[in-house]
Amino acid sequence: MNLITPEQTAIQQAAKDFTAKHIIPNAAAYDKSGAFHAFLLEAARPSKIFGMAIPKSFGGLEYSPLTQALILEEWGYGCCGMATTLAANVLSMESVMLAGTDAQKKQFYTPMLNGKIGAFCLTEPTAGSDVGGGKTTAVKTADGYTIHGSKCWITNGGIAEVFIIFAQTDPNAGVKGISAFIMERGTPGFTVGDEENKLGLRSSNTVFLSLQDVKIPASALLGEPGDGMKIAMQTLDLARPAIGALAVGLAQRALDLCVAHVQERFPAKPFPGQALQFKLADMRIQIEAARQVLHHMMALREAGKPFSEESAMAKTYGTDVAMSVATSAMRLMGSAGYSSEVGKLMRDAKVMQIYEGTNQIQRLVVARAVLARPKAAAPAEKAMAK
Amino acid sequence: MSTSTETLQRVRASAVAFADEFLEPIAADLDRTGNFPKALVAELARQRLLVLPTVKDAGFTAHVETVQTFSKACPAVASILNNHALAAYAIYKWGTDAQKKAHSEGLARGETLGAIALHENGPALGAGPDALAGVLAGGKLTLNGKKVFVRNAGVADVYVGFASVGAARSTSLAGFVTTASTPGISVGQAYETMGLRGCPVADVTFTNVVLEAGLLGAAADGPDMLGELCSALALGEAAQATGIGKAAAIHASSAARTRIQFRNPIAVLQAVQQMLAEIATDAHLAWLGVLHAAQLADAGSPFGIESAMVKSFLGRYGQKLLIDAVQVEGGMGICETAPPHFKGTLPLARMFRDIAGITLCDAPDDFPEALIAASF
Repeated sequence: MNLITPEQTAIQQAAKDFTAKHIIPNAAAYDKSGAFHAFLLEAARPSKIFGMAIPKSFGGLEYSPLTQALILEEWGYGCCGMATTLAANVLSMESVMLAGTDAQKKQFYTPMLNGKIGAFCLTEPTAGSDVGGGKTTAVKTADGYTIHGSKCWITNGGIAEVFIIFAQTDPNAGVKGISAFIMERGTPGFTVGDEENKLGLRSSNTVFLSLQDVKIPASALLGEPGDGMKIAMQTLDLARPAIGALAVGLAQRALDLCVAHVQERFPAKPFPGQALQFKLADMRIQIEAARQVLHHMMALREAGKPFSEESAMAKTYGTDVAMSVATSAMRLMGSAGYSSEVGKLMRDAKVMQIYEGTNQIQRLVVARAVLARPKAAAPAEKAMAK
Repeated sequence: MSTSTETLQRVRASAVAFADEFLEPIAADLDRTGNFPKALVAELARQRLLVLPTVKDAGFTAHVETVQTFSKACPAVASILNNHALAAYAIYKWGTDAQKKAHSEGLARGETLGAIALHENGPALGAGPDALAGVLAGGKLTLNGKKVFVRNAGVADVYVGFASVGAARSTSLAGFVTTASTPGISVGQAYETMGLRGCPVADVTFTNVVLEAGLLGAAADGPDMLGELCSALALGEAAQATGIGKAAAIHASSAARTRIQFRNPIAVLQAVQQMLAEIATDAHLAWLGVLHAAQLADAGSPFGIESAMVKSFLGRYGQKLLIDAVQVEGGMGICETAPPHFKGTLPLARMFRDIAGITLCDAPDDFPEALIAASF
């Protein structure tokens, strides 16, 4: 049975082709140098793929969540560093979609549809897992706001044209005092720091941002003052499954490389020993389960049902599976794994268990949901008697 | 051979001092450049740490302790040492008087470096298209073929290896020893590896290499020698893994005590405590397994099963030590170099890559569980 539509199959194939043509042949060199893969933006521009989540009324492609997941899996299969550049764009876009006015949407989406990039700026040196621990402030002035502070671990920060900045408008109100703003590149007082030299996702652009009395107009406020935390959390609910999707792609790549190695090593043996067969089967089972958690979550979202818990599960399980499958592939391939592409997959997967909300934070989300449910009714005595 | 308490104490103190003075300061640079740290070999010899398995009153126990200690600071140097020391051990244990005379002293003094050429392309030794084949005739051994993933390749002066000898239906593996300068031996370009950078890995090709009196041990003893040498190498690799794990636990724990989130150091969180405790527990229990196997080896008892058990255990939990240690440090844990806004050192990303290089299992068919399951 074909579970995806012919249209989705065609889109998936286009993503596969894009990955095979542009991502896979370049991934190793950019991973080694850590240089930013600017060519990728040029290659992606004609397809308007940056606008895959943007509504058609604004000129975007308005792909369904599941269709987006299918594309992200293919990009992740090629290189999660490059795929992160493309996926992080969606992250910033979702905030505007959730809370922006039509004018703000136009301001934000137009550059994006022309192949420009957005960045979502939440994390600070003192505010990682503890999102409310930020020290960046936005002080109301006569004609707008003055933002002061710093942001770190900002994906695409060095290359983006538009930024979503979270800052305290009421430092005494804790997380309820956080507001969200749209800021354009080139605003005076805004500077980009050095790029981080990372273990994995090396060609993805990750930077420190400094905001020294950056003046922005009142129209830059996204939603109402104090809506920031809500916008951030809802944005992350929408965006986390994207990381799960990249991770599923990465895990599939690790399995494919491992299978190719085993078949090359035992050309005369279609079925090597059970220990090896079972390990390959376990990898496959994990990948399929992660993929289904992700697709189910996307289906819930498409149906308009709550999906916050499932979103946390898709990110956590997907990236844990990616880490586990890549590690198994390395172990199965032995010395050959250590000097091959599998090493990159392991390094990339490790970063993915951390960024976009650590998998520990995701577990807190899931545990809260589990513990908040009403107690299950005890089985009826009649049923017990039977 | 048993390890006396005084010798072990002397070795332990020297190893710790050596790691502090020579390894800690160079680990990050060595990882970045990947240049073989030649000067350290002579220094290791001066400290009498280079060939411990062959030293009376030292043995494998002292060797694995040293490897573990070095790995806390710089696992690449521990890898160089492990391969060198076991090449020296093979000659010491199975070599003829002439072979010992030719090689042992130089290896002990660090004037020459040893390497072990084990792996080949193909499903098993002797089965691949370019397997190393030997022809024994009139005391001469002629070698043709290729060894792959040879550590210390290119910088080694002496190679210990195994080749398939005999006719098609009765091939057996025979050990040999040769100098690197023997005509017909060529070393390929060093591989790009994700970790243990500084310990070069490359292919070694043998083209009509003729060894006069190069056979190591009796030709028939080859398989047993190979088994013992692989078990010993695996113990050293396991000691590397436990050393990295122990150092990672200490670093991650210190990061957790200083990282404030939700108004407290994250070290107060149970989820973080759980990860830190599991890293320390797995590394410690694996180390006890290494130590026990090394003590058996020093007592002259078989230690292949115990070595296989350590291999199996670390196969499951080895990489996890660093997967979790990096997770505890979070964003800073994945930094290869400290960003300007961070004060301190960030070794976990390197350790994550280094421990991945401690393969323990060399190939898909390397299955230590078979040996264990057949042993009881």
